[in-house]
Amino acid sequence: MRVRSNRMKGLSACAATALSLALAAGCGGSEPDSTDGRITLEFLSLAWQKESVDANKALVKQWNATHPDVQVKYVQGSWDNIHDQLLTSFEGGEAPDIIHDDASDLTDFANGGYLADLSDYLPQSLREDIPQASWDTTTYGNGTYGVPFLQEPRVLIAATALLQQADVRIPTAQHPWTWGEFEDVSKKLTRDRNNDGTTDQYGVAWSMKEPVAQSVNLSLSTGGQIFYKDADGKNEIRYDSADSSVAQLIDRQVNEDRTAPKNGLGMSGSDTLPGFFAGRYAMLPLNFSFRQQVQQQAPKGFDWTVLPMPTGKGEPTQGTIPQTLSVSQDSRHKRSAVDFIAFLTQAEHQLQLARGDWLLPTSTKALKDPSLNTDTYGWKTGAAVAAGLRPSPVLGVRGYAEWKDKIATPAYQEFYNGAFGIAELRERLADDGNRILDRYQR
Amino acid sequence: MSTTSALPKVRVLRIAGRTGQYVALLGFLVFLAFPLLWLVSTSFKSPQELGSINPKWLPVDPGLGNYRAAFEAQPLLHSALNSLIVAVSASVISVSIAVPAAYVMVRYKTRVSQAGTVWILVSQMFPFVLVIIPLFLVLKNLRVIDSLVGLIIVYVVWNLPFSLWMLQGYVKSVPRSLEEAAAMDGAGRLRTLVSVVLPLLAPGLVATLMFSFVTAWNEFFFALVLLKSPENQTMSVILTRFLGAEGVADLGPLAAASVLATIPSLLFFALLQRRLVGGMLSGAVKG
Amino acid sequence: MSLTASRAKAVPGSRGTPPPRTPAQRRQALGLDRDAWFLLLPALIPILVLSVGPLLYGVSLAFTDAQAGRTAATQFVGLDNLLDLRHDSLFWESFRIGLIWAVSVTALQFVLAMGLALLLNQNLRFRWLARTLALVPWAMPEVVVGIMWRLVYHSDAGVLNKTLGQLGLLHENVDWLADLSYALPAVIAVGVWAGMPQTTVVLLAGLQNVPHELREAAQLDGAGLWRRFTTVTWPALKPVVLAITSLNFIWNFNSFGLVYVLTQGGPGGQTRLPMLFAYEEAFKYGQFGYAAAMGLVMVAVIAVLLTLFLRKKLKEDAA
Repeated sequence: MRVRSNRMKGLSACAATALSLALAAGCGGSEPDSTDGRITLEFLSLAWQKESVDANKALVKQWNATHPDVQVKYVQGSWDNIHDQLLTSFEGGEAPDIIHDDASDLTDFANGGYLADLSDYLPQSLREDIPQASWDTTTYGNGTYGVPFLQEPRVLIAATALLQQADVRIPTAQHPWTWGEFEDVSKKLTRDRNNDGTTDQYGVAWSMKEPVAQSVNLSLSTGGQIFYKDADGKNEIRYDSADSSVAQLIDRQVNEDRTAPKNGLGMSGSDTLPGFFAGRYAMLPLNFSFRQQVQQQAPKGFDWTVLPMPTGKGEPTQGTIPQTLSVSQDSRHKRSAVDFIAFLTQAEHQLQLARGDWLLPTSTKALKDPSLNTDTYGWKTGAAVAAGLRPSPVLGVRGYAEWKDKIATPAYQEFYNGAFGIAELRERLADDGNRILDRYQR
Repeated sequence: MSTTSALPKVRVLRIAGRTGQYVALLGFLVFLAFPLLWLVSTSFKSPQELGSINPKWLPVDPGLGNYRAAFEAQPLLHSALNSLIVAVSASVISVSIAVPAAYVMVRYKTRVSQAGTVWILVSQMFPFVLVIIPLFLVLKNLRVIDSLVGLIIVYVVWNLPFSLWMLQGYVKSVPRSLEEAAAMDGAGRLRTLVSVVLPLLAPGLVATLMFSFVTAWNEFFFALVLLKSPENQTMSVILTRFLGAEGVADLGPLAAASVLATIPSLLFFALLQRRLVGGMLSGAVKG
Repeated sequence: MSLTASRAKAVPGSRGTPPPRTPAQRRQALGLDRDAWFLLLPALIPILVLSVGPLLYGVSLAFTDAQAGRTAATQFVGLDNLLDLRHDSLFWESFRIGLIWAVSVTALQFVLAMGLALLLNQNLRFRWLARTLALVPWAMPEVVVGIMWRLVYHSDAGVLNKTLGQLGLLHENVDWLADLSYALPAVIAVGVWAGMPQTTVVLLAGLQNVPHELREAAQLDGAGLWRRFTTVTWPALKPVVLAITSLNFIWNFNSFGLVYVLTQGGPGGQTRLPMLFAYEEAFKYGQFGYAAAMGLVMVAVIAVLLTLFLRKKLKEDAA
C-alpha cells in the first residue's frame, strides 16, 4: 500500500511541474506585429472545387495588392475536419483571424465566446444586400457572429428520359409538385422493366446516411419546424403531423409503396449516383451542389434535369444552413478582418465563389446575375428556389448536435427502415430529445 | 533438411504441404492486397467510369487525368517530402531512445520500471481526444507549433509506448547467459548493450522502426492542428483536401494521391523486410 | 488501478535481480544505478513533459465540469460525472458494442496474423514480395481505407455484392453497412483487415527469435508439426504474443476513426463504439469533464480485463 501511494505522489509531482510550466507560459501574451505597421491576417478557407479555390486565391491576391498594410494569408481547410481543427485552435488560442465555416457550427462557437460579434463592423451596403432571413442564421441574442454568404437548397435531380417516358407534368419553381403529386409521380416512375417480378427502376432514392438535417429542413415545406420556442423563449422539440408528414411520406415510399429502395437509406448522396446513371433510380433529392458531381460523372448522352422539391402548400419553403465567414474573438484586427470579409462578399465576388463551388450566393444582387439564370445545369431552378430558403430550425439550438447523434440519427434510421411507427419516433425525438435540450438550458 | 533417402510417400506429402502453403499464402495476399489493386485501378479511371454501376477491375479507358488533377490541386510532392522528413526522424529518434529505456525496464525491476509499465498501458487506454488540448498548450509554450520539429517531438513521444512495450518483449528473449558472459569478460553495462544485446534485437528493432515510421507517416490529427502554414503540411492532411462536405469525395484525384501516399511505406517495407529475418540469435547461442 | 495493486503486492521488498554488476555501478537511486539512469533519461524526460503531464491533466478533468468555451468557469464536481455516467444507458450500450468489437477483432486478428506469420517465416519463393504485400493495409492512410471499403460494400456498385451475386450466393443486393444485423460484422471484417499487418510483423519478428536448433532437434526426435509448434515455437513466442495481443485489445477498444468513416456509428447506433462516444462528448458537445469520466471508466474496465489476461505475465515480471 505504502509503495503505491509513494509512487502516485511522485507521479503527480512530476505532472504538476510539467503543467505549471505549461500554464505559466500559456498566459504569456502574443507577439507584436512587425514594426512597419503592416498586419497579417490568416484566412482559413473551405473552398472545395478547384474553380472556387482559384477564385478565393485570386481575390486574396487582389486584396493584398490593393491593401499593402493588411496582408491576408490564405490557409486551406477541409470540411471533413473543420470542427475539430477549430475547437482545438480556439482552446489553444491559435485560431485564424478569418474563419470559413457553416452556420450550424456557429451556435456553439459563439456561445463559447470564441467568435467576435460583427454587428459594429458590418458595412450598411452588405447588410442590405443579404436578406434578413439569411442574417437570422448567424444571429444569436444580440450578436451577429458570421456573414452568411453561400447557400444551397435541396433539389430533385431527375433522369430526363425517364420523366418523358412516364409522361408527367414537369414542375417549375413557380408551380412545384405537391407532395401528393410527387408520390403519384414516384409510382409512375417505379417499374419492373424485365418483368422478373422484382422492381428494377425506383421512382426516387432517398439517401439517408445522414437523415436528420434533411428531415428537419424539409419539414418546413409542410409547415412544420420541429424546433420551437416555448413561452419563455426556451427551445423545445415538438413532432406533430405538420412536422412529421414528410418523414411519414418517405416511410410510405420505402415500406409500403416501394417506390423508393430500402438500400438507398444507408447511402450518402454520392452513393446513389451510379444507380441513377444506370436508370435504377429516376429521381434523387440532393443538395444543389451535387450537380457538379452529376455533371462530371454522367455517361455521355445522359440527360438530367433539376426540379424544385415538392411542397405542402403555397410557395416552396425549406430550411437551409448557409456557409459563413466569421472573425475569431482573439483576432486583434477585427475591423480589418471584417473589411476583408466585406470585400470577399461583394455581390460580384460572391458570385464567383458561389459558381466555383456550384452553390448559390446569398446576395440579392448576385442572385439576379444572368449567369445564374440559365437553364444549363439547372442554375435557374436553384436561383428561383432561393427566395423560399429559411433558416434551418436547428440553428441557434444548443444541444442540437447531441440530440442529432444520440437520439435523432438512430431514431430516423430505424423508422425509415420500418423498425417502428410514427408514435415511437415522436416519443424518441420529442420526449427523449427535450431531456437533452433541457440540460443545455438550465 | 537432408532428405536423401526420402520415401516417395513422404515426398508426395511434402509437395502437397508446400502447395497448400502457397495456396494459403495466396489467399491471405488476395484478402490483404486487393484494395491496393482497386485503388490503383481507380486512380486511372475517368469520372464517368467511377460513376458506373458495373465497376471493372481494370480501367476501360485508362488515363492520367486524375494524377494531373491531383498534382494541380495540391502540393503533393512537397507534402510528401515533409511527411518523409517527419516520419524518418520520428521513427529513428523514438527507437533510439526506446532501446536503452526498454533494456533498463527489463533488466532492473524497480519502481521506475513499474511506473513505466503502468504509464505505457494507461497512455494507450485513455481517450486521445482529451490529451490533445493540454498537449497543444505545452507545445505552444515550447514554441514548436506550426513547425515540423514540433510534430516530430509529438510523434516520438506518441510512438514510445508501443516501442517500449514491444522492445521489452524482444529484450526479454535475449538469453541472460550471453550478457553474463560479456560481464565476465569485463564489459560494462553500456558495452554489453551495444555489442551483445543490440545485434540480437535486430528483427525486433526493424519491426518497431517500421511501426513508428508508418504511424508517423499516416498520422493525421496532430498534423492537422499543429501545422498551419501551407509549406509545412504533411501528406495525410493534404489527402483530406479531396473530401468535401457530407462525405463527398473527389474520388479519382483522391485515389491518385493515395497511391502516391502508399508507395513510400511499401518501399520502406520492401527494403526492410529482409532484416526481419534475423537468424542471428540462433548463431549466437550456438557460439 | 488493479494493475498497480497486483504489482505492488507482488513486490514485497526485493527489486528483482539485475544481472551481475561491477562495484562502481552500485550507487543507486530508486533502484537504478548511474548507467541505468543514463539509458533511461532520454525517453523519460519527453514522456514526463509531453505525455504524463497532459495525461494527468486529462484524467483530472473527469472530476470537474470542464466545458469547451471560455464563458463558463470550471468547477470541481467530485464524482458527479461518474454518478451521471451510471445512468447513461446509451453509453453502456455502446460499451457492450465496444467489447464485442474489440474482442472479435483482436481474436481474429491474432489467429489470422499467426497463420500468416508462420507462412511468411517459411522458406518460400517470392517471400519478399509476399511480405511486402501483406503489409498493404498498414501502408494505406486510414481515410482512404475507409473510402475504399465503402466502395467494396456499396450496395449497387460494390465488388462484394457483385462477386457474391456471380457466385449465386446472393439474390438481392445487401447494403452491408446500413443493415441492422450485418453492419457490425462488416466493420469487424474491416477492423481485422486493417490491423493484421502490425500483428503479423510483430509475430514474424518474434518467430525469428525462436532458436532454430531447438526446432530441428524436435524434428529429429520425430515430433509432428503441431507438437513442434506447441513445445518449441509457442513457449518462445509467448511473451511477444501476450504483448501484442494486449496492445491490440487496447487499441481496438479505443479506435473509432475507421468505423466512423464507414458508418458514422449507424445504422441505428449499431456501430457506435464507446470511444466515438467520448470523442463526440468532448469535441462535438464540448463536455470535456463528462468525456474524461467516460475515459476513466474505460481505462478501469480495460485494466481489469488486462489484469485477468496478463496475470501470469505480471507475476513473472514481479518475481
